[in-house]
Amino acid sequence: MMEIVYGFIFGFLSSVGFGIITNNPRRTLVPAGLVGAIAWIVYIIVGWFNHGLIMPNLMGAVVIGLLGNLCAILVKAPVNIFYVPCLVSLVPGAILYDSMKNFTLGKDSLAAYGFVKALTVGMSLAIGFIIAETIANKIYGRLKQHINQKESK
Amino acid sequence: MGTINESDIVTLCGQVGTILLENGAETARVENTVEYVGRAADLPVVCHATMTGIFVSSEKSAATRIFKVRVGDFNLQKVDEINTLSRQFLRHEITYEDLKKEVQRVDKETLDFSWITKCIGAGLVSMPPMLLFKATWGDLFLAFFVGIIGYLVSQVVAHHTKTPYIPVALGSLAISVLANILGVVDIAHDANYIIISALMPLVPGVPMTNSLREIIEKNTISGLVRATDAIISGISIGSGVIIGQILIKSVMGG
Repeated sequence: MMEIVYGFIFGFLSSVGFGIITNNPRRTLVPAGLVGAIAWIVYIIVGWFNHGLIMPNLMGAVVIGLLGNLCAILVKAPVNIFYVPCLVSLVPGAILYDSMKNFTLGKDSLAAYGFVKALTVGMSLAIGFIIAETIANKIYGRLKQHINQKESK
Repeated sequence: MGTINESDIVTLCGQVGTILLENGAETARVENTVEYVGRAADLPVVCHATMTGIFVSSEKSAATRIFKVRVGDFNLQKVDEINTLSRQFLRHEITYEDLKKEVQRVDKETLDFSWITKCIGAGLVSMPPMLLFKATWGDLFLAFFVGIIGYLVSQVVAHHTKTPYIPVALGSLAISVLANILGVVDIAHDANYIIISALMPLVPGVPMTNSLREIIEKNTISGLVRATDAIISGISIGSGVIIGQILIKSVMGG
Protein backbone atom coordinates (compact mmCIF):
# COMPACT_ATOMS: atom_id res chain seq x y z
CA MET A 1 0.00 0.00 0.00
CA MET A 2 2.80 2.38 0.94
CA GLU A 3 4.35 1.49 -2.38
CA ILE A 4 1.34 2.89 -4.21
CA VAL A 5 1.18 6.12 -2.22
CA TYR A 6 4.86 6.88 -2.60
CA GLY A 7 4.77 5.71 -6.19
CA PHE A 8 1.99 8.16 -6.93
CA ILE A 9 3.82 11.08 -5.32
CA PHE A 10 7.16 10.38 -6.94
CA GLY A 11 5.65 9.48 -10.29
CA PHE A 12 3.86 12.81 -10.26
CA LEU A 13 6.99 14.70 -9.25
CA SER A 14 9.26 13.13 -11.83
CA SER A 15 6.76 13.65 -14.65
CA VAL A 16 6.33 17.30 -13.69
CA GLY A 17 10.10 17.66 -13.35
CA PHE A 18 10.73 16.29 -16.81
CA GLY A 19 7.95 18.50 -18.10
CA ILE A 20 9.83 21.49 -16.72
CA ILE A 21 13.11 20.41 -18.33
CA THR A 22 11.47 19.92 -21.72
CA ASN A 23 9.69 23.27 -21.36
CA ASN A 24 6.16 21.95 -21.48
CA PRO A 25 3.45 24.57 -21.77
CA ARG A 26 2.39 25.45 -18.24
CA ARG A 27 -1.23 24.42 -18.62
CA THR A 28 -0.18 20.87 -19.43
CA LEU A 29 2.13 20.28 -16.47
CA VAL A 30 -0.39 19.12 -13.89
CA PRO A 31 -2.38 16.85 -16.23
CA ALA A 32 0.87 15.33 -17.49
CA GLY A 33 2.01 14.74 -13.92
CA LEU A 34 -1.26 13.04 -13.02
CA VAL A 35 -1.13 10.78 -16.07
CA GLY A 36 2.46 9.87 -15.27
CA ALA A 37 1.57 9.05 -11.67
CA ILE A 38 -1.40 6.89 -12.65
CA ALA A 39 0.69 5.07 -15.24
CA TRP A 40 3.31 4.33 -12.62
CA ILE A 41 0.70 2.88 -10.24
CA VAL A 42 -0.61 0.68 -13.04
CA TYR A 43 2.96 -0.43 -13.65
CA ILE A 44 3.39 -1.40 -9.98
CA ILE A 45 0.07 -3.22 -9.76
CA VAL A 46 0.57 -5.17 -12.98
CA GLY A 47 4.07 -5.96 -11.74
CA TRP A 48 2.58 -7.75 -8.70
CA PHE A 49 0.81 -10.24 -10.92
CA ASN A 50 3.30 -10.52 -13.74
CA HIS A 51 6.99 -10.39 -13.02
CA GLY A 52 8.15 -10.08 -16.60
CA LEU A 53 9.36 -6.89 -18.22
CA ILE A 54 6.78 -6.76 -20.96
CA MET A 55 3.33 -6.71 -19.36
CA PRO A 56 3.86 -3.91 -16.79
CA ASN A 57 5.43 -1.62 -19.36
CA LEU A 58 2.84 -2.43 -21.97
CA MET A 59 -0.06 -1.72 -19.62
CA GLY A 60 1.63 1.46 -18.41
CA ALA A 61 1.98 2.66 -21.98
CA VAL A 62 -1.64 1.78 -22.76
CA VAL A 63 -2.76 3.87 -19.79
CA ILE A 64 -0.53 6.78 -20.82
CA GLY A 65 -1.83 6.52 -24.37
CA LEU A 66 -5.50 6.50 -23.38
CA LEU A 67 -5.28 9.25 -20.74
CA GLY A 68 -2.79 11.26 -22.78
CA ASN A 69 -5.11 11.35 -25.76
CA LEU A 70 -7.99 12.34 -23.48
CA CYS A 71 -5.93 15.18 -21.99
CA ALA A 72 -4.80 16.24 -25.44
CA ILE A 73 -8.43 16.75 -26.43
CA LEU A 74 -9.42 18.46 -23.20
CA VAL A 75 -6.41 20.77 -22.89
CA LYS A 76 -5.97 21.14 -26.68
CA ALA A 77 -2.33 20.30 -27.13
CA PRO A 78 -0.45 17.78 -29.26
CA VAL A 79 -0.41 14.30 -27.71
CA ASN A 80 3.36 14.15 -27.76
CA ILE A 81 3.44 16.85 -25.09
CA PHE A 82 1.82 14.39 -22.71
CA TYR A 83 3.74 11.34 -23.84
CA VAL A 84 7.23 12.73 -23.27
CA PRO A 85 7.02 13.67 -19.57
CA CYS A 86 4.79 10.74 -18.61
CA LEU A 87 7.15 8.25 -20.18
CA VAL A 88 10.14 9.30 -18.14
CA SER A 89 9.57 6.91 -15.25
CA LEU A 90 8.81 3.91 -17.43
CA VAL A 91 11.45 4.42 -20.05
CA PRO A 92 14.46 2.07 -20.29
CA GLY A 93 16.99 4.86 -19.66
CA ALA A 94 18.72 3.25 -16.71
CA ILE A 95 18.89 -0.12 -18.46
CA LEU A 96 20.32 1.44 -21.60
CA TYR A 97 22.91 3.27 -19.52
CA ASP A 98 23.84 0.08 -17.70
CA SER A 99 24.27 -1.80 -20.95
CA MET A 100 26.39 0.93 -22.49
CA LYS A 101 28.50 1.07 -19.33
CA ASN A 102 29.22 -2.62 -19.69
CA PHE A 103 30.02 -2.03 -23.33
CA THR A 104 32.64 0.56 -22.35
CA LEU A 105 34.06 -1.82 -19.78
CA GLY A 106 34.42 -4.54 -22.40
CA LYS A 107 31.85 -6.87 -20.85
CA ASP A 108 30.26 -7.63 -24.18
CA SER A 109 27.80 -10.34 -23.22
CA LEU A 110 26.38 -8.27 -20.33
CA ALA A 111 26.15 -5.29 -22.66
CA ALA A 112 24.23 -7.28 -25.26
CA TYR A 113 21.93 -8.69 -22.59
CA GLY A 114 21.16 -5.20 -21.25
CA PHE A 115 20.63 -3.83 -24.73
CA VAL A 116 18.13 -6.52 -25.59
CA LYS A 117 16.36 -5.77 -22.30
CA ALA A 118 16.21 -2.06 -23.16
CA LEU A 119 14.85 -2.91 -26.60
CA THR A 120 12.22 -5.16 -25.03
CA VAL A 121 11.03 -2.42 -22.70
CA GLY A 122 11.06 0.14 -25.49
CA MET A 123 9.18 -2.18 -27.82
CA SER A 124 6.52 -2.98 -25.24
CA LEU A 125 6.04 0.74 -24.58
CA ALA A 126 5.76 1.45 -28.30
CA ILE A 127 3.28 -1.37 -28.85
CA GLY A 128 1.28 -0.17 -25.86
CA PHE A 129 1.03 3.24 -27.49
CA ILE A 130 -0.13 1.77 -30.77
CA ILE A 131 -2.84 -0.22 -28.98
CA ALA A 132 -3.94 2.81 -26.97
CA GLU A 133 -4.01 5.05 -30.01
CA THR A 134 -6.15 2.63 -31.96
CA ILE A 135 -8.64 2.44 -29.10
CA ALA A 136 -8.51 6.18 -28.46
CA ASN A 137 -9.26 7.05 -32.07
CA LYS A 138 -12.38 4.93 -31.90
CA ILE A 139 -13.63 6.17 -28.52
CA TYR A 140 -12.66 9.81 -28.47
CA GLY A 141 -13.81 10.72 -31.95
CA ARG A 142 -17.26 11.53 -30.70
CA LEU A 143 -15.99 13.49 -27.71
CA LYS A 144 -13.85 15.60 -29.99
CA GLN A 145 -16.80 16.35 -32.26
CA HIS A 146 -18.88 17.29 -29.26
CA ILE A 147 -16.27 19.76 -27.99
CA ASN A 148 -15.78 21.25 -31.42
CA GLN A 149 -19.52 21.76 -31.82
CA LYS A 150 -19.74 23.43 -28.43
CA GLU A 151 -16.98 25.80 -29.42
CA SER A 152 -18.39 26.78 -32.75
CA LYS A 153 -21.71 27.77 -31.18
CA MET B 1 -5.13 34.61 -51.13
CA GLY B 2 -4.03 34.61 -54.75
CA THR B 3 -1.64 37.50 -54.22
CA ILE B 4 0.73 35.56 -52.04
CA ASN B 5 3.81 34.24 -53.72
CA GLU B 6 3.87 30.48 -54.10
CA SER B 7 7.45 29.94 -53.05
CA ASP B 8 6.74 32.14 -50.05
CA ILE B 9 4.10 29.71 -48.84
CA VAL B 10 6.39 26.76 -49.43
CA THR B 11 9.09 28.49 -47.38
CA LEU B 12 6.71 29.21 -44.54
CA CYS B 13 5.50 25.60 -44.54
CA GLY B 14 9.10 24.47 -44.36
CA GLN B 15 9.80 26.76 -41.43
CA VAL B 16 6.79 25.44 -39.57
CA GLY B 17 8.00 21.90 -40.14
CA THR B 18 11.57 22.70 -39.13
CA ILE B 19 10.52 24.23 -35.82
CA LEU B 20 8.26 21.29 -35.04
CA LEU B 21 10.88 18.70 -35.85
CA GLU B 22 13.77 20.44 -34.10
CA ASN B 23 11.86 20.64 -30.85
CA GLY B 24 10.71 17.08 -30.55
CA ALA B 25 7.56 16.43 -32.58
CA GLU B 26 7.31 13.12 -34.38
CA THR B 27 7.66 13.07 -38.16
CA ALA B 28 4.11 11.98 -38.95
CA ARG B 29 2.76 14.99 -37.06
CA VAL B 30 5.20 17.31 -38.80
CA GLU B 31 4.10 16.12 -42.23
CA ASN B 32 0.42 16.43 -41.32
CA THR B 33 0.73 19.93 -39.92
CA VAL B 34 2.73 21.21 -42.88
CA GLU B 35 0.23 19.81 -45.36
CA TYR B 36 -2.68 21.29 -43.42
CA VAL B 37 -1.06 24.72 -43.37
CA GLY B 38 -0.42 24.49 -47.10
CA ARG B 39 -4.01 23.53 -47.82
CA ALA B 40 -5.33 26.33 -45.64
CA ALA B 41 -3.19 28.77 -47.62
CA ASP B 42 -4.82 27.51 -50.82
CA LEU B 43 -1.71 25.77 -52.01
CA PRO B 44 -1.70 21.99 -51.72
CA VAL B 45 1.80 20.92 -50.71
CA VAL B 46 3.45 17.57 -50.26
CA CYS B 47 5.79 17.23 -47.32
CA HIS B 48 8.27 14.52 -46.57
CA ALA B 49 10.07 14.73 -43.26
CA THR B 50 12.96 12.70 -41.94
CA MET B 51 15.05 13.44 -38.90
CA THR B 52 17.70 15.22 -40.95
CA GLY B 53 15.71 17.13 -43.52
CA ILE B 54 12.30 18.31 -44.60
CA PHE B 55 11.18 18.44 -48.22
CA VAL B 56 8.24 20.64 -49.07
CA SER B 57 6.93 20.71 -52.59
CA SER B 58 4.01 22.60 -54.10
CA GLU B 59 1.59 20.45 -56.06
CA LYS B 60 0.64 23.20 -58.49
CA SER B 61 4.08 23.97 -59.83
CA ALA B 62 7.60 22.77 -59.42
CA ALA B 63 8.40 24.90 -56.38
CA THR B 64 10.29 22.68 -53.95
CA ARG B 65 12.41 23.52 -50.97
CA ILE B 66 14.66 21.45 -48.81
CA PHE B 67 15.27 22.34 -45.19
CA LYS B 68 18.11 20.95 -43.16
CA VAL B 69 17.24 20.02 -39.63
CA ARG B 70 19.40 19.49 -36.62
CA VAL B 71 17.35 17.81 -33.98
CA GLY B 72 18.14 19.25 -30.60
CA ASP B 73 16.59 19.11 -27.17
CA PHE B 74 12.92 18.92 -26.49
CA ASN B 75 11.21 22.29 -26.33
CA LEU B 76 7.58 21.35 -26.22
CA GLN B 77 6.41 24.91 -25.70
CA LYS B 78 7.37 25.67 -29.30
CA VAL B 79 5.62 22.56 -30.58
CA ASP B 80 2.47 23.60 -28.76
CA GLU B 81 2.58 27.19 -29.98
CA ILE B 82 3.07 26.19 -33.61
CA ASN B 83 0.26 23.70 -33.22
CA THR B 84 -2.08 26.36 -31.86
CA LEU B 85 -1.10 28.77 -34.63
CA SER B 86 -1.69 26.25 -37.37
CA ARG B 87 -5.10 25.41 -35.91
CA GLN B 88 -6.06 29.06 -35.78
CA PHE B 89 -4.90 29.49 -39.34
CA LEU B 90 -6.94 26.46 -40.41
CA ARG B 91 -10.07 28.02 -38.94
CA HIS B 92 -9.12 31.32 -40.62
CA GLU B 93 -8.93 33.13 -37.30
CA ILE B 94 -5.59 34.66 -38.22
CA THR B 95 -4.38 35.82 -41.60
CA TYR B 96 -1.42 34.53 -43.54
CA GLU B 97 0.65 37.58 -42.58
CA ASP B 98 -0.06 37.04 -38.88
CA LEU B 99 0.96 33.41 -39.16
CA LYS B 100 4.21 34.38 -40.84
CA LYS B 101 5.05 36.94 -38.18
CA GLU B 102 4.17 34.61 -35.33
CA VAL B 103 6.20 31.73 -36.76
CA GLN B 104 9.27 33.97 -36.90
CA ARG B 105 8.66 34.97 -33.29
CA VAL B 106 8.27 31.39 -32.09
CA ASP B 107 11.45 30.46 -33.91
CA LYS B 108 13.45 33.09 -32.06
CA GLU B 109 12.04 33.22 -28.58
CA THR B 110 9.43 31.56 -26.48
CA LEU B 111 8.37 31.39 -22.92
CA ASP B 112 10.88 29.37 -20.96
CA PHE B 113 11.20 28.31 -17.37
CA SER B 114 13.84 30.08 -15.32
CA TRP B 115 17.13 28.36 -14.62
CA ILE B 116 16.23 27.70 -11.03
CA THR B 117 12.93 26.09 -11.92
CA LYS B 118 14.67 23.91 -14.49
CA CYS B 119 17.24 22.84 -11.91
CA ILE B 120 14.50 21.86 -9.48
CA GLY B 121 12.84 19.99 -12.33
CA ALA B 122 16.06 18.11 -13.01
CA GLY B 123 16.31 17.33 -9.32
CA LEU B 124 12.79 15.94 -9.27
CA VAL B 125 13.53 13.72 -12.25
CA SER B 126 16.58 12.48 -10.37
CA MET B 127 14.35 10.78 -7.81
CA PRO B 128 12.77 8.17 -10.07
CA PRO B 129 9.96 6.09 -8.55
CA MET B 130 11.72 3.04 -9.95
CA LEU B 131 14.36 3.16 -7.23
CA LEU B 132 12.05 4.07 -4.33
CA PHE B 133 12.37 0.80 -2.45
CA LYS B 134 15.78 -0.18 -3.71
CA ALA B 135 17.85 2.85 -2.76
CA THR B 136 17.79 4.34 0.73
CA TRP B 137 15.98 7.63 1.34
CA GLY B 138 19.30 9.32 2.04
CA ASP B 139 20.65 8.24 -1.31
CA LEU B 140 17.60 9.56 -3.11
CA PHE B 141 17.95 12.85 -1.28
CA LEU B 142 21.59 13.11 -2.36
CA ALA B 143 20.65 12.12 -5.91
CA PHE B 144 18.36 15.16 -6.02
CA PHE B 145 21.38 17.48 -5.73
CA VAL B 146 23.81 15.39 -7.73
CA GLY B 147 21.24 15.26 -10.53
CA ILE B 148 20.91 19.04 -10.49
CA ILE B 149 24.67 19.45 -10.78
CA GLY B 150 24.89 16.94 -13.61
CA TYR B 151 22.11 18.68 -15.50
CA LEU B 152 23.72 22.09 -14.93
CA VAL B 153 27.11 20.91 -16.15
CA SER B 154 25.65 19.43 -19.32
CA GLN B 155 23.65 22.60 -20.02
CA VAL B 156 26.61 24.90 -19.45
CA VAL B 157 28.85 22.78 -21.64
CA ALA B 158 26.16 22.69 -24.32
CA HIS B 159 26.27 26.49 -24.35
CA HIS B 160 29.99 26.52 -25.05
CA THR B 161 30.47 23.75 -27.54
CA LYS B 162 28.67 22.58 -30.62
CA THR B 163 30.25 19.14 -30.60
CA PRO B 164 27.44 16.66 -30.06
CA TYR B 165 27.49 14.19 -27.16
CA ILE B 166 30.18 16.10 -25.25
CA PRO B 167 27.62 17.81 -22.95
CA VAL B 168 26.03 14.55 -21.80
CA ALA B 169 29.43 12.91 -21.41
CA LEU B 170 30.71 15.71 -19.17
CA GLY B 171 27.46 15.85 -17.24
CA SER B 172 27.67 12.17 -16.47
CA LEU B 173 31.35 12.54 -15.64
CA ALA B 174 30.42 15.18 -13.04
CA ILE B 175 27.69 12.94 -11.62
CA SER B 176 30.00 9.97 -11.41
CA VAL B 177 32.80 11.92 -9.74
CA LEU B 178 30.43 13.37 -7.16
CA ALA B 179 28.64 10.12 -6.45
CA ASN B 180 31.87 8.19 -6.07
CA ILE B 181 33.31 10.81 -3.72
CA LEU B 182 30.16 10.59 -1.64
CA GLY B 183 30.47 6.82 -1.69
CA VAL B 184 34.13 6.76 -0.71
CA VAL B 185 33.73 9.11 2.24
CA ASP B 186 30.74 7.04 3.43
CA ILE B 187 28.08 9.71 3.19
CA ALA B 188 26.19 7.74 0.59
CA HIS B 189 25.03 4.18 1.03
CA ASP B 190 25.58 3.00 -2.51
CA ALA B 191 27.20 5.19 -5.16
CA ASN B 192 25.66 3.13 -7.97
CA TYR B 193 22.08 3.99 -7.07
CA ILE B 194 22.95 7.67 -6.86
CA ILE B 195 24.56 7.51 -10.30
CA ILE B 196 21.58 5.76 -11.89
CA SER B 197 18.99 8.08 -10.42
CA ALA B 198 21.00 11.26 -10.98
CA LEU B 199 21.47 10.26 -14.61
CA MET B 200 17.73 10.21 -15.23
CA PRO B 201 17.57 13.74 -16.76
CA LEU B 202 20.41 12.94 -19.17
CA VAL B 203 19.70 9.38 -20.18
CA PRO B 204 18.15 8.91 -23.65
CA GLY B 205 15.21 6.79 -22.62
CA VAL B 206 12.48 8.90 -24.18
CA PRO B 207 14.27 9.21 -27.57
CA MET B 208 14.77 5.44 -27.54
CA THR B 209 11.05 4.83 -27.06
CA ASN B 210 10.11 7.47 -29.61
CA SER B 211 12.42 5.87 -32.15
CA LEU B 212 10.72 2.52 -31.71
CA ARG B 213 7.36 4.22 -32.07
CA GLU B 214 8.49 5.76 -35.34
CA ILE B 215 9.73 2.42 -36.62
CA ILE B 216 6.40 0.79 -35.81
CA GLU B 217 4.63 3.60 -37.64
CA LYS B 218 6.82 2.76 -40.66
CA ASN B 219 8.93 5.93 -40.54
CA THR B 220 11.91 3.65 -40.61
CA ILE B 221 14.58 6.20 -41.49
CA SER B 222 13.62 8.62 -38.72
CA GLY B 223 13.36 5.76 -36.29
CA LEU B 224 16.83 4.49 -37.09
CA VAL B 225 18.34 7.98 -36.87
CA ARG B 226 16.78 8.47 -33.45
CA ALA B 227 17.82 5.02 -32.25
CA THR B 228 21.43 5.51 -33.33
CA ASP B 229 21.44 8.88 -31.62
CA ALA B 230 20.11 7.33 -28.42
CA ILE B 231 22.70 4.56 -28.48
CA ILE B 232 25.60 6.93 -29.07
CA SER B 233 24.54 9.22 -26.27
CA GLY B 234 24.13 6.13 -24.09
CA ILE B 235 27.71 5.18 -24.89
CA SER B 236 28.99 8.68 -24.10
CA ILE B 237 27.14 8.66 -20.78
CA GLY B 238 28.53 5.23 -20.00
CA SER B 239 32.09 6.27 -20.73
CA GLY B 240 31.67 9.48 -18.76
CA VAL B 241 30.60 7.50 -15.72
CA ILE B 242 33.42 4.98 -16.09
CA ILE B 243 36.07 7.68 -16.44
CA GLY B 244 34.77 9.39 -13.31
CA GLN B 245 34.80 6.12 -11.42
CA ILE B 246 38.37 5.30 -12.45
CA LEU B 247 39.52 8.82 -11.57
CA ILE B 248 38.08 8.73 -8.08
CA LYS B 249 39.14 5.16 -7.42
CA SER B 250 42.73 5.93 -8.37
CA VAL B 251 42.90 9.23 -6.50
CA MET B 252 41.06 8.33 -3.31
CA GLY B 253 41.26 4.55 -3.26
CA GLY B 254 38.33 2.48 -2.03
